[in-house]
Amino acid sequence: MPETMAEEPVSNGFMQNPVPGSNNPPVAKRKRNLPGTPGKFLCEICGKGFQRDQNLQLHRRGHNLPWKLKQRTTKEVRKRVYVCPEKTCVHHHPSRALGDLTGIKKHFYRKHGEKKWKCEKCSKRYAVQSDWKAHSKTCGTREYKCDCGTLFSRRDSFITHRAFCDALAEETARVNAASSMHSLATTNFSYQLMGNPLDTGMPQHFPSIFKTISSNDETIDQTRRGFSLWMGQAPQGHDSIGKSLQEIQQFGSLNSGSMYSDPLVSTSNPPASDYQLNWVFGNKVSSGNAEDQLTSTSLPLNNNVKENGTQLVSIPSLFSTQHQSQQTPSFSMSATALLQKAAQIGATSTDTSFLGSFGTKCNNSQIQDGSKYSDLYVSNTQTTTLGRDMENSANDISTLNQLQMYPAKR
Amino acid sequence: MKLSSAKISKESKGTSPSHGGHHKNSFHSKRQSHHSILPLQPVDQLEQWSSVAVDMYNNSSSNNNDNNHHHYQPQTSHTSTSRSSDYSAGGDGDPSATGNKWASRLLKECARAIFDKDSSKIHHLLWMLNELASPYGDCEQKLASYFLQALFCKATESGQRCFKTLTLVAEKSHCFDSARKLILKFQEVSPWTTFGHVAANGAILEALDGEPKLHIIDISNTLCTQWPTLLEALATRNDDTPHLKLTVVVTANIVRSVMKEISQRMEKFARLMGVPFEFNVISGLNHLGQLTKEALGVVEDEAVAVNCMGALRRVPVEGRAAVIGMFRSLGPKVVTVVEEEADFSSTRYDFVKCFEECLRFYTVYFEMLEESFTPTSNEKLMLERECSRGIVRVLACDDDQDNEGERERRERGSQWSERLKEAFSSVGFSDDVVDDVKALLKRYKPGWALAQPYQNETGLYLTWKEEPVVWVSAWKP
Repeated sequence: MPETMAEEPVSNGFMQNPVPGSNNPPVAKRKRNLPGTPGKFLCEICGKGFQRDQNLQLHRRGHNLPWKLKQRTTKEVRKRVYVCPEKTCVHHHPSRALGDLTGIKKHFYRKHGEKKWKCEKCSKRYAVQSDWKAHSKTCGTREYKCDCGTLFSRRDSFITHRAFCDALAEETARVNAASSMHSLATTNFSYQLMGNPLDTGMPQHFPSIFKTISSNDETIDQTRRGFSLWMGQAPQGHDSIGKSLQEIQQFGSLNSGSMYSDPLVSTSNPPASDYQLNWVFGNKVSSGNAEDQLTSTSLPLNNNVKENGTQLVSIPSLFSTQHQSQQTPSFSMSATALLQKAAQIGATSTDTSFLGSFGTKCNNSQIQDGSKYSDLYVSNTQTTTLGRDMENSANDISTLNQLQMYPAKR
Repeated sequence: MKLSSAKISKESKGTSPSHGGHHKNSFHSKRQSHHSILPLQPVDQLEQWSSVAVDMYNNSSSNNNDNNHHHYQPQTSHTSTSRSSDYSAGGDGDPSATGNKWASRLLKECARAIFDKDSSKIHHLLWMLNELASPYGDCEQKLASYFLQALFCKATESGQRCFKTLTLVAEKSHCFDSARKLILKFQEVSPWTTFGHVAANGAILEALDGEPKLHIIDISNTLCTQWPTLLEALATRNDDTPHLKLTVVVTANIVRSVMKEISQRMEKFARLMGVPFEFNVISGLNHLGQLTKEALGVVEDEAVAVNCMGALRRVPVEGRAAVIGMFRSLGPKVVTVVEEEADFSSTRYDFVKCFEECLRFYTVYFEMLEESFTPTSNEKLMLERECSRGIVRVLACDDDQDNEGERERRERGSQWSERLKEAFSSVGFSDDVVDDVKALLKRYKPGWALAQPYQNETGLYLTWKEEPVVWVSAWKP
């Protein structure tokens, strides 16, 4: 572009500072391109007028002109272009000048100006009033949809949900599969191996997954290397799992009310539970262990056989649903995604062995699906034992000695 | 005789509004004798208490206006104006004590009885409370239930054991999914936690603006729900996104078990956002004072922010100054502190005062939960249950028994300020951050507001129905 054309400084009428809140009373909107006031740039095909050249060009594209006619028919008139007055800005140079005054004004405010306009709902700030207006129209109306299907009207709750959503695992795996595969694989490995979660617990169906991804060359080396550890232990794991499944059947519901009645009964429950845990987990857990392994186990501690029929059914079904959720997408997911899924299954049981994950998952289903049921169950036991035990223990307390007046009341 | 004089004065006013026939008359004479119960008269004591209990029970279950025993009636009756003047309540001259708040009255009486070691009264009141309390009822019933448990433990000196059992139970039923669901739902319906998050994030972002390497030390049990929005802000606001190292110090045992899952999620999310990210967890500490610069992994070239979300209250009262000094030694650019507004610390040697403050705070909390969640919400129930441990711990356990950091001697914002002023100077929140917080509060149900403190005080308060409940502040060395 010839230098002479671009020397126009942007100074005329440019410094009208918008005053925030000056919207009252609202200014009457100026209609553009009405029949009485057509724009300067006219389309030669249909005669429509436009305020700006670029809008005209966009419009002309819609007419599907043959190539020759796509060029401008009239000779290029010398036009004013505008540069940004800010010297450090890219658009200060004539080669990056913009075509219209309004555009350069907006650019200047957006990039170099103070953001005087603020959205009330979300407190986002804008330097240009029209941007602010446009945003206000859509703010709060936009709905954010997570991959898991949940809709949000608020951006912050959407973001927070997204960070913890289960659907995140698949997406990032797909997105990052090619580029950061190596780092993903190694971090996951080190992560799992450090926490030694899978010493005893690798069930047999895992190796079958790796058969399906044999087509993927590069990943296989890494996965095979790491999983050989796991696969090597699969046989022993299977045995212990079979045995432990039987043992689980003997335990009752997790949320049994007897736990709540404990404060009033002076039995020594905790030591007994340690013993039972030892028995179930083999040598893994030592009694009185205050570390992660104990605290995160979710197997029930008491031996009261409050047989909860649904509990038994849920164990194998949970197991199989995990299994299925791994199998069905395996053909479309990458190796790292599968790795992560596998890691998740181990990780949700935190530090304990695979058995711990049984209990955790069972508990989940109880809480989420049968929540009403389990709560009611707990409540009945709790209130009645509380009442009853109050009487009993009240009798035991030596300081309260006017007891003989009350027993008949109950 | 005192009893008869009370009767006379009552009848002369004749204000009992519901003339529900003979019911009133038949009970009325008996009711008169009850005016002077407190303090208890030795004579007819049992009959008075038992009939009162029956009245209350009938009232709360039948919800009936006609049986107008207006002292104990659950719903407010606007017509019984003579109530307060007659019912001197033996020193508990609280003119606003309506029949609505039966739980708080009974509970306070019981606390006093325990302090006075009046065993018969203790027994009566515990029995009455047990009859009326339920963790599945309305607010009064719930408060009665949880505080009854604490009072019982205090009377029988079994607080320690009860606390341990409650903790064990909670840990057993705790897993990532349930914890996540609970905390996210709570944040969706109430700004109780998000208020602190938004304000603290704003202060942190401003203090660390322009730094290329950030290290945030998060001492909280929020399961990292504070950080996704901060990560997003870091990713979108700058052209060059800084590197963020997040070190989470976990104090509650319950939270520890889910941190592995949390860290995986956070790392994935940071990758998604495109923020270079490093995540570490420190757990198993008995005492925050054990932290050191090396243990936290603080290196020289990074800009440090310390974020304490309900963490300082878990430090034993005597050790708080040392912990604050330890923060100072880390050389942070900003320290953000969020705490709940209650004082269980200066009252810790006065059981009755501490009890009353505890009851006040949890009443506000429970009412807030009641109004924020749906009536049958499971999450609300779980949050209420979580309180039971705290209540037992504060009221029924001795401080000198060494426990794993679950002590929760809360202090008010003004008290924390006094402590923090020893090592830091306060930083005000910028207008932008205040606007962000206001915009946040607008997204919730009405009742919430932001209060900026008086001259000498620092920080911001979240208020629920004009009552300050959460305090947030920012500090620099």
